[in-house]
Amino acid sequence: MPFTDIAVALQISFTYFTIIYLTGLGGLFSERSGIVNIGLEGLMIIGTVTGAFGARFFTDTLELGLPWGPILGLLFGALCGAIFAGVHAVATISFRVDHIVSGVVINLVAVGLARFLSYAFFNGQSTQSDPGGPHLDRLDIPLLSSIPGGIDRAFQSLSPMVLVAAFMVVPVWYALNRLRWGLRLRSCGENPEATRSLGVSVPLYRYQGVLLSGAFAGLSGAFLASEVIGNWREGQTLGLGFIALAALILSNWNPIRLMFFAWLFGFAVAIPLRLNDAPIISALPPQFIRMIPYVVTIVAIAGFVGRVRPPAAAGKAYEGGGGV
Amino acid sequence: MATDGVAAPTAVRSRPAWIEGLVGQLLALLASLGIAVLAGSLLIVAYGENPLDVYSSILEASMGSADGIGYVLAIATPLIFAALAVAVCFKGGLFNIGVEGQYLVAMVTAAWAEIELGFLPGPILVVVVLLAAMLGGMIWAAVPGILKVKTGAHEVVTTIMMNGIAVSLVAWAINFPLKFSNAPAGQNVDLRTDQFPDNGLVGDIGQYFDVTPGAHLSWLLFLAIAAAIIVWFLIRRTRLGFEARAVGASPGSARAGGVSIGGTQLRLFLISGALAGLVGMQQILADRGHLPQNYIVALGFTGIAVAFLGQNNAIGIIFAAILWGVLSRGEVALQIQSEVPREFIIILQGILILSVVITYQIAKRRLAARQLQRAGAAGELEDSAGPDDDAGPRGPEMKGREAFEAAEGSGT
Repeated sequence: MPFTDIAVALQISFTYFTIIYLTGLGGLFSERSGIVNIGLEGLMIIGTVTGAFGARFFTDTLELGLPWGPILGLLFGALCGAIFAGVHAVATISFRVDHIVSGVVINLVAVGLARFLSYAFFNGQSTQSDPGGPHLDRLDIPLLSSIPGGIDRAFQSLSPMVLVAAFMVVPVWYALNRLRWGLRLRSCGENPEATRSLGVSVPLYRYQGVLLSGAFAGLSGAFLASEVIGNWREGQTLGLGFIALAALILSNWNPIRLMFFAWLFGFAVAIPLRLNDAPIISALPPQFIRMIPYVVTIVAIAGFVGRVRPPAAAGKAYEGGGGV
Repeated sequence: MATDGVAAPTAVRSRPAWIEGLVGQLLALLASLGIAVLAGSLLIVAYGENPLDVYSSILEASMGSADGIGYVLAIATPLIFAALAVAVCFKGGLFNIGVEGQYLVAMVTAAWAEIELGFLPGPILVVVVLLAAMLGGMIWAAVPGILKVKTGAHEVVTTIMMNGIAVSLVAWAINFPLKFSNAPAGQNVDLRTDQFPDNGLVGDIGQYFDVTPGAHLSWLLFLAIAAAIIVWFLIRRTRLGFEARAVGASPGSARAGGVSIGGTQLRLFLISGALAGLVGMQQILADRGHLPQNYIVALGFTGIAVAFLGQNNAIGIIFAAILWGVLSRGEVALQIQSEVPREFIIILQGILILSVVITYQIAKRRLAARQLQRAGAAGELEDSAGPDDDAGPRGPEMKGREAFEAAEGSGT
């Protein structure tokens, strides 16, 4: 098997790492604040359709060109993701709807809303936009992309967003572990009563957590549609939002460990795309490899290997203040 | 809440809790229907059309003719199964969002039975295929059920993951073991199974009601309604149903009352899986006659929406599924004669389900608060309550039942 195949598979895995990691970070902010968010897939879907539209709109219609058009497109996807996450926030925090119920509804409504938006955005095409949308210039990572022997291929022509996602761990870790804001956010997810007794508004932090989750998932969706695929297509998220949820659970809601699992599952997605001829893998149907992230998560959640511990108050309705 | 017949001077009024609950649910449902219709009207006006015209054309397309009603009922059939599967688990405090995966796997086991056992005579084959489907759904539901009982793994996470596995499993099945062996000319690109034998298909009942065969209205509809009645009976009138509701309302008291929580939950998961197994049958046995690659997805998730809409009541679910079908069928009207895009229907359904979830939550909280308040008031008014109020015509055990239902209403 040629070495370049592994390199290309690695390169693809970096792209999927970006999608899974950004969405996973979204889930992290929400669940750390105490709101379970299984609507990540739906938030991503909104990100894909609005991101694809935003990239075209800012680049072509407003003639901003590169790189500002695609960048604003990505941010537009993030903004729309956050707005849509507002529905989850209002339902779970203000109306105290069960978090799972609301998350299911978010996923369900997102599919329809995406079609509706697509119809409005793309001249009546409700399931896809024209291919070949604008995207950021690909870049080669310095040093790594000049390693001899074929492995250099893995670090060439990557979207700049891959680097953004990889370095996102620094501000996220810092915010959650060193900033007063992050500590308060986390304490809302662990013990809201105690947090409230310190004079912190739990609903306020939870709103921020959920809106952030929408922004990250939306950004991830926008990246998928405009940077990776080049257009919007119905169903292009392919359950990656759920894979992100799986990575989040396995990471124990930790942004650094999440990097590893996001990359691992990204690689699992990349294998059937590129490494079909490799030994062992060629004997397995590609569909079995796609099951890996889910099987690993079930094994872990059942406690067969290690223990995962969600934020203590995640998923529980909080009665203190800010409600109807 | 032994407050029947209390002559309360203030806000405390005498109504049995179950009536109050029902009224609350109905009000919540009506309110959310109102919100959806109103929000939809705004959207229609934004498109420059008359809301009354659009709504009446939607109703005309879905309810105005035998064909329309046939289509509506055919859309409702799988949704009834899916929503029942969700509701059964919900009664026991379990959230089965794995109906999606369970029916996908069931379609594979059913297709396998069709192809391998095609030599069986007609009705027997259909029964065997339906059993195979139920078994497939049960197997897929048993995994999260057993993990929940044995390891405490949260069923929401495990069922989400089982859904992911099921999607790949179906793809594998139609790519490998069940891949069609004699492709009809010109269909080489499609991935699907072989066509099922004719004697393994479910008969069309549309012909008896002047409904076009295009609607694919099948007697699976009657099976769905029968399933709803069975589920209603199971939940309301059997020991398992009582235990399920006890576990759902308060696991602690249920355990203290001698109910095996794990056993109840596992049984609920298996029943739910069997119902979920029947979701895909309308599609493959009545409509297509084979398992295609582009099967309608998200029936399981839509089933969750229908279950909310029917407030997890087996009979309510039938009507909710029909309402969903009416809206879905309304697409046709928009497609033909309106500026409003057909995607409007999905938005309408989305708004409806969002407002149902929220208004139901509000109603539940109001009800709980009122019961709490009344319980307090009853304490104060204990002296004024006559002796015959306590042992009224409903009898003491009905009182216990009411209290239980009140707890159930505020519990989930």
